[in-house]
Amino acid sequence: MNRVPVTSSNLVSVGYDPQNSTLEIEFSGGSIYQYFDVPQGVYDELLASSSHGQFFSAQIKGNYRFAKL
Amino acid sequence: MPSDPALLGTVQDVNGATISVSLEAQTLSGLAFIGGTGYRIGQIGSFVRIPMGFMDLFGVVSQVGAGAVPLKLVPESPGGNRWMTVQLVGEGQAGKEFERGISQYPTVGDQVFLVTEHDLARVYGRPNSPNFVRVGHVSSAEAIPALVDVTRLVTRHAAVLGATGAGKSTTVAALLAAISDMQRYPSARVLLLDVHGEYASALGDRAAVFRVNPDADSAQKPLRIPYWAMSFDELLSVTFGALDDQPRGAVLERISELKLESLKSYPRSGVSQDNLTVDSPVPFSIHRLWFEFHRAMYATHTVAGGQSEKTEALLMDSSGNPVERGDALKVIPPRYQPHTQASPRIYLSQSPLNFRRQLDALASRLRDPRFDFLFRPRPWLPDLDGNVEQDLDTLLESWIGGPQSITILDLSGVPISVLNSLVGVLLRIIYDALFWARNVSEGGRQRPLLIVLEEAHAYISQDQPGGAGQAVRRIVKEGRKYGIGALVVSQRPAEIDATILSQCGTLFAMRLSNSADRAHVTGAVTDNLEGLLAMLPVLRTGEAIILGEAVRLPVRTQLEPPPPNRRPDSADPLVYDDEGPGGWNRKRERSNYKEVVTIWRKQDPASPSVVRSDSRPKSS
Repeated sequence: MNRVPVTSSNLVSVGYDPQNSTLEIEFSGGSIYQYFDVPQGVYDELLASSSHGQFFSAQIKGNYRFAKL
Repeated sequence: MPSDPALLGTVQDVNGATISVSLEAQTLSGLAFIGGTGYRIGQIGSFVRIPMGFMDLFGVVSQVGAGAVPLKLVPESPGGNRWMTVQLVGEGQAGKEFERGISQYPTVGDQVFLVTEHDLARVYGRPNSPNFVRVGHVSSAEAIPALVDVTRLVTRHAAVLGATGAGKSTTVAALLAAISDMQRYPSARVLLLDVHGEYASALGDRAAVFRVNPDADSAQKPLRIPYWAMSFDELLSVTFGALDDQPRGAVLERISELKLESLKSYPRSGVSQDNLTVDSPVPFSIHRLWFEFHRAMYATHTVAGGQSEKTEALLMDSSGNPVERGDALKVIPPRYQPHTQASPRIYLSQSPLNFRRQLDALASRLRDPRFDFLFRPRPWLPDLDGNVEQDLDTLLESWIGGPQSITILDLSGVPISVLNSLVGVLLRIIYDALFWARNVSEGGRQRPLLIVLEEAHAYISQDQPGGAGQAVRRIVKEGRKYGIGALVVSQRPAEIDATILSQCGTLFAMRLSNSADRAHVTGAVTDNLEGLLAMLPVLRTGEAIILGEAVRLPVRTQLEPPPPNRRPDSADPLVYDDEGPGGWNRKRERSNYKEVVTIWRKQDPASPSVVRSDSRPKSS
């Protein structure tokens, strides 16, 4: 999955696979996680938000199942 | 003021390699500036230099203050506690390199100097020598690299010891990253026994990963250990368990016969009928062994004497066909008519053998899919007559002759009951192969092998007899001559066999708080450097005292952690996680315990929902 770099204190890059509705996030520690069943709109909002980290904490963290790669 | 700001004091007492130094009255401040760099005076573990004409002696400060005052002088120097004790460690001639050991002693009145960065570089020196790898920098001077001699590290064995969270795994990863540098050491060869499956993520692209249950999507390869490569005793420990003398003899004899038969039908180079033993790594079918013994003990017969295969009383169905003839490879026993006194009489087997319990244990292991890596090791699974698709050469080549220099044997899926025996077998197979092949290009002497024993206390603890301890003891005692080195990694040095630890020439001692563990480390050290090791409980994370053969001097090192993506998967879980995805402080997403059970059953931590870019999507 291709990730695009983002400017944030805790996220390094994010990517999205529309076919599987899977969001992939690389954290600043170097670990990569995938979030499942994330609507495309949420990903677009994440990219558009002024603070990616805050949007992640508020809208993604705790809302979608995830797995560490 | 002393003429030289580096002057610390003068030698007052020499006792073997231990000398007492009285500090100059002026060196009170504890800080000296030389060439613009600040040096702390009298730090435990720091070095001092004692010039002796053309020669410089070097020593390590092991004690400072009142306790270092020589006993006789205590009444004469009330309040005079500006003393330090120094352990001499080596010498260096002007313009030449530093060497361990000393040829002459200092004497009373000799001046003792601080060791500056310039001197330190001379002591630790030579970052460009191809024989040294850099693992970090000297704690007291960032500019000076901490170098480890690869030759001595591998041939004289080493141990990485430290409490949980002190940075052992990171140290190993850093060391392996340095060794596996293809530019410098294209033929390096490292085998890592990874009990917890931590390293695949860190070294995945530089290593071949073998797993009992390989992840189908990744490049992991299946770990197979053919049972027939084991010695007789090893095989017994994972199959029958303990046997009495008589059945043991019968099993031994039958295995010898099966191996001989197999060898007659399928000759294998290097072994002939004359030098074949029960321990020779020649394929034979253990399924056939089970089947034959099962028939011998369980069969009922139509005659009392002269029983043979033909007299067996198989259970018949209404149309006169046997209900179940049995199948050796599928481990299905034949069904027999029950023993009866009524006519026609059916007699019990007259076989003198009686080890039904152990034989049934073998059958259940042969049927257990968790043991398939051992008993159905395709393509090394022998047919009933002992024919195999591939011989051991392909197995060995895949383990220690692959294109990558590191091989990770991920043992996380191995049943704990056989872990010890299995590690023993693995190590023995590799040791034997490299030992006998020591003179050829792939052998141990020409292409040495470093075996990393991660979490070694799990299988070579002192109170655990078994194959693993024996195999590791053999490697640390004799491996040097045949190019097989061990790197023992453990958080419980006290639990590791003392023989093994004492044979490790190099120690990476990291933070250790438990006093029993510390005593074990101190006891294993050759140099008289207890003072240096006294700081073990206060080392920082990622800091190690490296001592022994691979370094010129014991050196307190700040190890350089590899980049985040090269670190093993052993970091502590975060209970409170502000930045990352997990932690107790987050909202609860919808759970899916179906996935949990799937993963558990699969015995592979990778989630099946993960989308991998290099493979087809799981569901669409």
